Amino acid sequence: MQPFDFIQPDTIDGTITALSNHTPNVRILNGGTDYLVELKHVHQSPGVIVDISRLTGIKGISLIDEGLRIGSGVTHTEIMSNPMVKEHVPAMIDAAHVVGAVQTRNLGTIGGNLVTCVPSMDSGPTLMALDAQVTILGPNGKRQSSLQDFFVGPRKTSLNIDELLLDIIIPKENLGKPAKFIKFGLRKGQALALVNAASALWLRDGKCTDVRIALGAVAPVVIRAKKAESVLEGNKLTDNLIDEAAKVAIREAKPIDDFRASKEYRNDLIEIAVRRTLKSAMLNSK
Amino acid sequence: MVDETKLAEKQETVETLRKVDDDLRLPSVPERNFFPKEIDIAPARLQTPAIGQRATRPDGRLHGLGQTKYIDDMFFPGMLHAKIKRAGVAHAKIKSIDVSEAQKMPGVQATLIGSEIPVNSFGPSLQDQPLLADQVVRHAGDGIAAVAAVTEQQALDALEKIKVVYEELPPVFDPIEAMSEDAIKIHNNDSNIYASKTIIKGDIEQGFKDSDYIFERRFTTQMVEHVPMEPHASIAEWDANGRVTLHSSLGRITLGRADIARTLEMPINRIRIIATVVGGNFGGKNEITTEPIISLLSKKTGRPVKCVFTREDEFISSTTRHPFIMDYKTGVSKEGKILARKVRIVCDGGAYCSWTETTLGKASILSAGPYNVENLHVDAYAVYTTKTVTGAMRGFGAPQVCFAYESHMDDIAAELGIEPLEIRLMNAFNEGSSSPTGQVLESVVVSDSLIMATERFGWKEWQK
Amino acid sequence: MTDITLNVNGEVKTASVPPETTLLKMLREDLNFTGAKIGCDVGDCGACTVLVDGLAVNACLMLAAQANGKEVLTIEGLSTLDKYHPIQKAFEDVAALQCGFCGPGMIMATKALIDQEQELTRDQIKDALSGNLCRCTGYTKIIDGVIDAYEKITGRKVPARNPRAA
Repeated sequence: MQPFDFIQPDTIDGTITALSNHTPNVRILNGGTDYLVELKHVHQSPGVIVDISRLTGIKGISLIDEGLRIGSGVTHTEIMSNPMVKEHVPAMIDAAHVVGAVQTRNLGTIGGNLVTCVPSMDSGPTLMALDAQVTILGPNGKRQSSLQDFFVGPRKTSLNIDELLLDIIIPKENLGKPAKFIKFGLRKGQALALVNAASALWLRDGKCTDVRIALGAVAPVVIRAKKAESVLEGNKLTDNLIDEAAKVAIREAKPIDDFRASKEYRNDLIEIAVRRTLKSAMLNSK
Repeated sequence: MVDETKLAEKQETVETLRKVDDDLRLPSVPERNFFPKEIDIAPARLQTPAIGQRATRPDGRLHGLGQTKYIDDMFFPGMLHAKIKRAGVAHAKIKSIDVSEAQKMPGVQATLIGSEIPVNSFGPSLQDQPLLADQVVRHAGDGIAAVAAVTEQQALDALEKIKVVYEELPPVFDPIEAMSEDAIKIHNNDSNIYASKTIIKGDIEQGFKDSDYIFERRFTTQMVEHVPMEPHASIAEWDANGRVTLHSSLGRITLGRADIARTLEMPINRIRIIATVVGGNFGGKNEITTEPIISLLSKKTGRPVKCVFTREDEFISSTTRHPFIMDYKTGVSKEGKILARKVRIVCDGGAYCSWTETTLGKASILSAGPYNVENLHVDAYAVYTTKTVTGAMRGFGAPQVCFAYESHMDDIAAELGIEPLEIRLMNAFNEGSSSPTGQVLESVVVSDSLIMATERFGWKEWQK
Repeated sequence: MTDITLNVNGEVKTASVPPETTLLKMLREDLNFTGAKIGCDVGDCGACTVLVDGLAVNACLMLAAQANGKEVLTIEGLSTLDKYHPIQKAFEDVAALQCGFCGPGMIMATKALIDQEQELTRDQIKDALSGNLCRCTGYTKIIDGVIDAYEKITGRKVPARNPRAA
């Protein structure tokens, strides 16, 4: 690794100051499961590394007025074993469980997963399907953003270099919303998603409302399959309708053709993933 | 929890020492080896081969205790770290290599390029592979230059400063294309085909004439890297007597020793190889890689030099399993008996020969499968392409042809509506069968083992 | 240079290392604990697995400075002068280690798993070891070793494998 200066602030304010002081030659490090790999392969020093792995302000999962707050520094392992997550957003446990392997989940954080913004991230689809908001702190104060606005492109978010992702909030009205996450990889552990997907919906009087279908690894960023959602919205869920929505979802995605899987194969996976997540979400709501 | 008093004491020591020398590193106390001193050794009888006895691995205990010393766990005083610059282009003429900037980098003690190696070629059957490419690059993983520096990072940084000017040549990635007469000749030979094997048994034409059905299919397999958990690694130390001592994870040390002596133009008695515990070989560590290079770097610097492949080096420059293109044509009677088989194997040999000849031979002999094929014709070719070197890997070509002939068997069984096990039993070698090369086989248990295995894992139930 | 103090295997260790030093590098080169191996150096193979505050982590993906003040357990800290650790014994007995390079990581990942004191199934074992690659054994013997150790340590049983499951 190239040499760098290492700062380990104790407070969130201290972090923001450190980031501002060293902009633009500064990067944030937390779990390091992605960024340290990157650092080992670059030939230029990143300048200053601000380690936020000890910031208590970005840890913890709690219920607040707006909903369920998950600190950006919460590891995947912590999510998997958290009783509040289990009660209100169990789909997140499935999403956390498929990240890397035990070692990766013990270090890697949900915030890191979102900020890295690789198209195949496993935290993205479930959070997007639950309309999660992210809170970002910068030198000029806090701002909130939806995930659609937060994800800009592959490895690119709307986060400025001097800003810190504080937490992720799942809105109160979506706690307990039936949802399901599925991932397809080449193997079970340590695999990038070929396709991952999450669906969430409410079943009211036999009809589904507020349908959300989010797809990962099929476009430059995690996307919502809005046309597929509108196929279902306000209708009675039948197998035929779910099949139709799954087919529509394929047209909204632009999967790549690469050494992991062909475009055609990924399209098949999208259909299956959408169908299975919808059915499972439907069953969960009964 | 950290012991507070101990910590404070240690801190105090740190401060005192700091005052003496700002850069001073605290010497670390060598670790005690924590393990019970009373050894529990299995009685000798259990260690001797006796059928049905449970044997424990003699080295298992050290592995489990984490005390096995692989190359990368060895540190010698003053030891330098070497790294190799990879070409990054598939096929090119090297116009010039400039290492002067790299030599000025901090920590760099020496560099080495191909032209400084006395005999810059090696290989188990054809000596067609340079240790460091000096004239032509034949695959992207070819080494171009080596750097020895105080730390691994310094060596890696210095690699970035090496300037190589290439005149790019068209690459050849498809072995079928490489076989054609007008293809670019990768080694300036008349042809890119550098090894071939033919096996003819019986009368193939008559066999096909007698057949009721003829099946044809092409099977292809891909390149496979061994991925040993421990990457290739070695340490060289050139001593004042002009002898070199190598600690190496090499799997075939005697062969390696001869190869190293040849490349260094030294009598073999001046090369001493200490074979260390190998962290996975699978055929991938059957030939020398960096040993002569680091020996020369050690000669230049007067220090021990260690070179451990990065995982990237391992994938792009070490040997891999050959991709095969196999065309099978099989004539069978309507009962399912094989009457004739014609096989054509094109073995993508990569940039250099390595163990390809051996692989090709074994693949050809085994390509008809463990089946009685009276009329057989096998043609096999190994072809140079500008891809990663292909060499020995578990089975030496046998897994590739096995995939082909067994898949082919299933195709035939399905077409003829014969049970897959039955078609195999009908054709399998039996006592006294003769192999494709005419060897009369004894103690043949193919059918017995097939029957026993299918009974054990419930083949019949699975078929339902 | 950063001063790092770690509690490694119950003893306080101090070293002054550049900030870019990983925990793995510090353990191996500064403290001479070479049990954790460098297999891929990018967190894929698990050969460098150590326990930091009881959690299995890839030591190659953690800066030494991030581990400062924490408790680290390496393979060297498992056995004592009196007895072998049951996991090491089990791995030796069932011949779970062939070339042995993945062994220290496998054993540490197993230790973290068994320490959680939950009921284990074969599937959970596979899941817990999915971050540790082995190229020799095909994993069967390793899983046998984990089961053997788990049953000896906890006195519980792992449900027998369904013969028709993969």
